[in-house]
Amino acid sequence: MINHHLSDEIVWAYATGSLPAGHALLVSCHLELCQGCKARLAEAEVLAGAMLQTSEQQKPSDDMFDLLMARVENEPTLSAGAYLAEPKPEKGVPSALWDVLGHGYNGIKWKMVGPGIRQFILPIKSSEGESARLLKLSPGFVTPEHSHHGSEMTLVLQGSFSDETGRYKIGDVQEADEHVHHQPIADTEEDCICLAVTDAPLDFKGFFPKLLQPLFGI
Amino acid sequence: MQLQNNDGESENILTSADLSALLQSLGRERSREIFRQLFEFFAPRLKTYFLKGGATSELSEELVQETFVIVWRKAEMFDSRKASASTWIYTIARNLRIDRFRKERRYLYKDDQFFANELVGEETQLDDHYQSQLSERVKKALPLLPAEQSTIIKLAFYEDASHSKIAQYLELPLGTVKSRMRLALARLRKLLEGVDL
Repeated sequence: MINHHLSDEIVWAYATGSLPAGHALLVSCHLELCQGCKARLAEAEVLAGAMLQTSEQQKPSDDMFDLLMARVENEPTLSAGAYLAEPKPEKGVPSALWDVLGHGYNGIKWKMVGPGIRQFILPIKSSEGESARLLKLSPGFVTPEHSHHGSEMTLVLQGSFSDETGRYKIGDVQEADEHVHHQPIADTEEDCICLAVTDAPLDFKGFFPKLLQPLFGI
Repeated sequence: MQLQNNDGESENILTSADLSALLQSLGRERSREIFRQLFEFFAPRLKTYFLKGGATSELSEELVQETFVIVWRKAEMFDSRKASASTWIYTIARNLRIDRFRKERRYLYKDDQFFANELVGEETQLDDHYQSQLSERVKKALPLLPAEQSTIIKLAFYEDASHSKIAQYLELPLGTVKSRMRLALARLRKLLEGVDL
């Protein structure tokens, strides 16, 4: 049961294709897990389609249709069957993430970034200075309290965590902006794996974490 | 601007339901005449969409043509119970635009067949009647939004602009852009439910 969903503006940004890579990945993963948000995306796409249908018109070149016909007459057509051969990812790994990783959570080369926190930076090229990482929080450790210059979105993939704003389980999304200071903590016996995307570096509170931030790379 | 069909009728009389029926028949019959009707309706609108998104006139035309090549190729997969023609064609155009301008992130967006074929359940299917009238409703509802809200909706739709770019462009704090977007969508949803045709 997913309790924390995507915000309207994120769903709309996804529908219009304006999310940077990491955010789009996170949204894709959540959509695989959440029927409700999928319905909201469908609604946003209907709205975008309706806007296209009602938009102004610019006349295309006179010969475009003939050129187009000349092209498509030699085109093969696709039927639905063409899409069925995709390899299935390991259970519990969203296929959008599987496409990026090429394997499941066990094959990840984690790097320790602090007590009880490991991360893996995802190899996603993004044009807008964002970063996307997997985080693994071990039970019994508290993440240093931090706030954000920009925004941070987190999706729980395994286990669960809690912070001042609530409890987040598999499929739940947390959107944090510059006003949120939080200390997430894995709250079961299990490691908590999250996909986290930020559009600016995190800002850890207090002297010590700040000193370590360049080393953590977060 | 009104374009005329060969038979002299204004194409703007085509409703969402007509367009979806045309696209469905294209999948079955591969008829040049049906393809032409869809082209004459959507090509000028798609050209605006690509132009406003920052493409040159030449590139816009190329992308319009690419869109229709895909429409032709995939028409058989179109299912009017799952999407309207305008939504289906929009997602193709959007993905082409992402593909062209942001090669690195195209694969992070779902293929336009993903939701239509694999994962769309009962819950995500919108009411047919509502869907078939939706663009007519949007046309009436958009002018009813406060200017500051419709500006943001249009920027997001046409310009492929991220929230932070919209914020820069309008010289507003990011938080204001996000909250206006949220308000605009909530209000639009209400208006769409309430608009009388």
